[in-house]
Amino acid sequence: MEPIIELRDVSTVYEGEKRPAIRDVNLAFEGGEFAYVIGPNAAGKTTLLETINGLLPIFKGHISVLNLDVQKYGREVRCQIGYVPQDFMVDPGEPYAALDVVLMGRYGKIGVIGMPSKEDKEKAIEAMRLLEIEDLANKPIGKLSGGQQQKVMIARAIAKEPKILLLDEPFSNLDPESRGKISKLIAQISSEHNLTTIIVTHDLRQMAESCSRAIVMNSGRIIADCEPREALALIEKWNFSDFWRHNG
Amino acid sequence: MIYLEYAIFQRALLGCVFIGLLGGLIGVFVVKMRLSTIGYSMSHSAFAGAALGVALSVDPLLTAIVFSAVTAVFIGPAADKARLPIDTITSIAFSLNMALAFIFLTFSPQIGLSSEVASVLWGSIVSITNRDLVYLIALCSITLALIYLFWKELFTIMFDRKMAEADGVNTKIFVYFMIFLAGITVALSLKLVGGLLVYALLFNPASSALQYLHDMRKIIFLSPIIGAASCIAGFFTSLIFDIPVGSCIALISTLIFAVSVILSPKRRRRWRNEG
Ligand SMILES: Nc1ncnc2c1ncn2[C@@H]1O[C@H](COP(=O)(O)OP(=O)(O)O)[C@@H](O)[C@H]1O
Ligand SMILES: [Mg+2]
Repeated sequence: MEPIIELRDVSTVYEGEKRPAIRDVNLAFEGGEFAYVIGPNAAGKTTLLETINGLLPIFKGHISVLNLDVQKYGREVRCQIGYVPQDFMVDPGEPYAALDVVLMGRYGKIGVIGMPSKEDKEKAIEAMRLLEIEDLANKPIGKLSGGQQQKVMIARAIAKEPKILLLDEPFSNLDPESRGKISKLIAQISSEHNLTTIIVTHDLRQMAESCSRAIVMNSGRIIADCEPREALALIEKWNFSDFWRHNG
Repeated sequence: MIYLEYAIFQRALLGCVFIGLLGGLIGVFVVKMRLSTIGYSMSHSAFAGAALGVALSVDPLLTAIVFSAVTAVFIGPAADKARLPIDTITSIAFSLNMALAFIFLTFSPQIGLSSEVASVLWGSIVSITNRDLVYLIALCSITLALIYLFWKELFTIMFDRKMAEADGVNTKIFVYFMIFLAGITVALSLKLVGGLLVYALLFNPASSALQYLHDMRKIIFLSPIIGAASCIAGFFTSLIFDIPVGSCIALISTLIFAVSVILSPKRRRRWRNEG
């Protein structure tokens, strides 16, 4: 089977930096795969996601997503990827309603010429319903709590009806109960629609329960790509669990 | 008002309305797309450009546009990349532009503070010509049409440019287009407000409107209204007290901004979670 996402010898260097933030990464994901990426702060997890969706230019190597060269067809690729950025918080005065923000997820797909249709709006509301935030639809997003804003961003990614989900610590502002619920919801949506899903997380317990593949990163490299249980054992052994203890 | 019987004042008043509307409209995008620093630099290089035009006896509008375009080309990419010291660049650009502007004005062929020099410095009501009006109306129409056609893109870019890009929107073209429109607006407004204060027209009405409302769709209407109101009020204040129109407009729009900040419903809970 052709991989949906394929990175070959990819290094990404931020502008003005000398050291690559991720280096010589080789990775492939098949359609419908569900993987977690773990690793200490500054390991390169966020950089990996933004390299896959082409927000960051690569320094060397090759990436293809959905059989398209990301360097050339970044925009087409991004129309098919639901991305939830890390620590997304807006100013309290931001003049946008939560529903506006969820609907934005579909704008790339709608294209420059089109206007959001009734169907687009329904998809956005449906996504909010799945996350149990439909009653916040008309509230200004800046007035929502961090956790609620995070749910809005997840709804934005889901409303897009993507083929791929890239989620960067999507549960960091949620309480444990919501974490469990939403991580189940995402797993369910992924399997229903056969989405390829990559989740960056600190929450090792969550990972062990809900996925089949764990990618461990450190200092810009992939140091393990295995079963979650194996990954946990490795982390124990290498004893750098204290790197992310604060997020336990 | 006896003045208003004269065509020249009618034209000037109309010019004020359009300049206010345009400044308020474009200003919302300038502020929300985080283009304030580039708008600031373009305003001052338009000033230097207009001054050169006066010195060389060519149309100051033309030289103002050329200067602000050159600035946009230099500073635009810097504004695009967060890691470049944009503050440093704009500070240096400011002093450079001011120095150039005043040198050019010294070399102006007319004696002393001729009306053209005065207009470039602090604006003048009577300087607005029929041609200026035509340009203003054309620019207003183009701007409105573009906002209508690409509202969806502009709306999402103003919210968060990176997320818009992540959703597959081509943000660069729209950001650069707004910079372009802002540059032309600045150059056209310069005669009325004067090069030292033209930036107030882009910044004050939009920032005032943003204090009040929680809905971008309403802000985009309120800001041009505030802009036009500032300009009309500035126009009459200038006539009544015989002080430069640019200063009046800048003062009134600043006053409106100050009142907005005090009355702002948003200000009461100004916290930010840096989490
Ligand atoms: N915008 C940036 N410019 C320069 N360096 C960056 C930028 N963002 C991240 N880095 C660096 O790249 C490395 C990887 O960062 P990141 O991908 O954010 O790690 P993680 O998400 O695993 O915490 C770090 O060393 C970080 O300092
Ligand atoms: Mg990160």
